[in-house]
Amino acid sequence: MAAGTTSSTEVPAKGAGFPPFKTETFPSQIFWLVITFAFLFVVLWRIAGPRIKGVLVTRRGQIDGDLAKAQSHRADAEGASAAYQSALAAARGRAQALAEENRQRIGGEIDRAKADADAAAQVEIAKAEARIAASRGEARAHVAKAAQDAAIAIVARLTGDTVAADEAASAVRAVTGG
Amino acid sequence: MAMNPMEQFTIKPIVPLHIGGYDVSFTNQSLLMVVVAVAASLFLTLAMSKRSLVPSRAQSMAEMSYEFVANMIQSSTGEDGLKFFPFVFTLFVFVLFSNFFGMIPGSFTVTSQIAVTFALASLVILTVIVTGFARHGIGFLKLFVPKAPLALLFLLVPIEIISFLTRPISLSVRLFANMLAGHTMLAVFAGFVVLLGGAGGVLSVLSIAPMFLIVAIMLLELLVAFLQAYVFAILTCIYLNEALHLHDHH
Repeated sequence: MAAGTTSSTEVPAKGAGFPPFKTETFPSQIFWLVITFAFLFVVLWRIAGPRIKGVLVTRRGQIDGDLAKAQSHRADAEGASAAYQSALAAARGRAQALAEENRQRIGGEIDRAKADADAAAQVEIAKAEARIAASRGEARAHVAKAAQDAAIAIVARLTGDTVAADEAASAVRAVTGG
Repeated sequence: MAMNPMEQFTIKPIVPLHIGGYDVSFTNQSLLMVVVAVAASLFLTLAMSKRSLVPSRAQSMAEMSYEFVANMIQSSTGEDGLKFFPFVFTLFVFVLFSNFFGMIPGSFTVTSQIAVTFALASLVILTVIVTGFARHGIGFLKLFVPKAPLALLFLLVPIEIISFLTRPISLSVRLFANMLAGHTMLAVFAGFVVLLGGAGGVLSVLSIAPMFLIVAIMLLELLVAFLQAYVFAILTCIYLNEALHLHDHH
């Protein structure tokens, strides 16, 4: 503290003058500046600088490496996705082909079964028609026989004559046009 | 009652020391220079001691100061200026820490001494001259010959030489005067606070006004402390760029 001063404008009694311009302090100032500045220079140059640079370089390398890794992972993922898509498309195509083939095979079987059934039905129909024709002939024969018997009986009742079966049959044929 | 605002710049010996007839006593300024050098060394080495990929706050600040100076050199001198990185980094850190430690009340501002700033500026200019001649030989003198008509050169060459010679002065006085003026202003307003406070009555209440002013100036001075360290470092880079590339980069 400036003990000898009484106001801010007054110059201190001891060591008069503007302090930074006191040349007698210069040697000490330069001396200690050189020591401290050189010390700081060596520390920053040899220890702090390389250390910070090392960390920065490592970090940059790490970031670049991670980015490259992420990039390659993305490429891998895209490749896998493309492979999946193509496999999916192939499988879908195969499934469609298979379904088409099945459809055609089943369609063929159905047609064949239908044809078989139709054929069997035709045979049955033919048999049945034959049976019907036979029955009809038989029935017609029975009717002719009955008419013949009736004609013989009528003649015998009316005339007392016995008509031969052949005669009666031809007479019935003549009447019925058979 | 009031302190002399210049009192804070007085260098007081702590340990008297004489070497070869010179008074190199360890003074309050020497103490602050040691504090600055040790604090900066510790900060920039200890903060980086973990070398973590995801930096802590302190490590981040150390890295930021490194990259700040590295970018400064790179943008003003290019890649080949980076070999001066330790020098410029030390200058920046030394001036910055000196300015900031000077902001602590009761401490001493190393850079408010013209001897210190002039020594630093001379070191810069010396580096520039040595680099220039080492790189370009006698061709370094072309720095003083701008591209201009011959008739103008009679005028321009002396101007260039004078401007080069005044660089250590402007570089040192800029820093010195800025720190000196700021701290003087703070001390003057601090004196007002003491004067008004001691006056009694209404005047005592009024002493709050210069108090607020001191807070505001303090913030301004923190900015100036950084800015002057930056200016010192960037001007060093610009001068080094001239030594490295003459006028090519303009």
